[in-house]
Amino acid sequence: MSRNRQLFLAGAVLLAFILQIAVMPQLKLFGVQPDLILVVAVVVAVQEGPVEGAIVGFCGGMMMDIVSPQVMGVGAFSETVAAFLAGMLKEFFMTYSILLPVLLVFIVTILELSVNQLTLLMLGQENLPPFNVIGVILPSALYNVLAVLVVYPVMKRFRLTRKEESLRLAKPGGR
Amino acid sequence: MPSSRRNRIILIVIIIVCISMVTFYVRESDTGPLHKMQNFFLDLFSPISNFFSKIFRPVKDGIVNLFHLPSLAKEKRELQKEVASLRRQAGESKELEAEVEEFKRLLHWSEENAQLDTVGADIVGQSPSNWQRLMIVNKGSSSGVKKYMSVVTEEGLAGRIISVGSRSSVVQLITDSRSGMGARDLRNRETGIVEGRNEDTMRFVPMNEEAVMQVGDVMVTSGLGGTSPPGIAIGKVTQVKKRSVGLARLVEVKPFVRFSRLDKVLIIITPEPESVILKEAQ
Repeated sequence: MSRNRQLFLAGAVLLAFILQIAVMPQLKLFGVQPDLILVVAVVVAVQEGPVEGAIVGFCGGMMMDIVSPQVMGVGAFSETVAAFLAGMLKEFFMTYSILLPVLLVFIVTILELSVNQLTLLMLGQENLPPFNVIGVILPSALYNVLAVLVVYPVMKRFRLTRKEESLRLAKPGGR
Repeated sequence: MPSSRRNRIILIVIIIVCISMVTFYVRESDTGPLHKMQNFFLDLFSPISNFFSKIFRPVKDGIVNLFHLPSLAKEKRELQKEVASLRRQAGESKELEAEVEEFKRLLHWSEENAQLDTVGADIVGQSPSNWQRLMIVNKGSSSGVKKYMSVVTEEGLAGRIISVGSRSSVVQLITDSRSGMGARDLRNRETGIVEGRNEDTMRFVPMNEEAVMQVGDVMVTSGLGGTSPPGIAIGKVTQVKKRSVGLARLVEVKPFVRFSRLDKVLIIITPEPESVILKEAQ
């Protein structure tokens, strides 16, 4: 991955983090909000690979853990696992349409929320919220699907721009 | 180093960092370095969150209203029915007397409330997690706020402080599934616990399983446990559902506070929360 691409991904994570803490709580519907960090991590996992997605998930999850009143590290762990799995699952699909990230985001949101709860359960955290599939997990997954419909085309466009730029530079006479 | 090996090492390092951080966090006390760092960043980000909250409030209200539009007509019909029913009930003096008694008790409480020392705070953020019902307020230890202090509005109890930074604090709403408040039924004086369920309504678990609960009963804080002063309105019983044999019945309580419109709250500074559990914790 080029240095420019790394900088772009760092910027994307930072932007997702700021939007997640500042804007997403304002867009809460029926008690749930989109998880932009997870969505960006899955898109990166699809575009770059499972480890790159896991790194983005870890960085974003850790930033969220630091500014949220929750057990530090659990969010980072669940986002890392979810993004890595999204990158691995991608290999099973022979398509590059938007349906791929949509499907992956739906699946790994369910996984991420489950891993999060399971980790807290294993840590012996008391009074955990009920494992609400209908009220929390499915609406969150659907909301994240809506978010990826916006995020994926934007990140894809930036990726193509970089590719086009590289091709242009590779041409004889290119700057 | 081959790329696949490097990737594997990165992944292992990430997992180890996560597990180490979780372990340190869970094992340290509330004053440990990781907790302190969390409170510091909470203080740092609460003004940013507040700024965006103000900008996006109209957008949020618009979206919420849009979703509520189809239900408004239904709600209106239901309200009209309720009004008619209430008018009929007004003729029944016994019921009326009971209601007047309830309001008298509430009025009595509001007069007593003047002695409580409170500090006003603005809601500056909400929990980023879908598993929690938390809010962040812009007052912290520098304003005298301490852990477990009750947070109220003019409508009743909203929640309690669970984490304190120097200029911001985290409020656990009474609807959060980890919330449990000592409560008393104003009509029959039965005590119990009002538990959050991460839904718009809560559940009342009476100490006395045989207690006669009725729809419309008003629940107030009991003061038992010492974290909240007694007599603060919590909500109204909206449903008493009998469960099958062996299971507890469901007494559903609707909070008086409308959390979707919450903007400003009062934190009860005095009397300070006090209980055996808290003293032991200190």
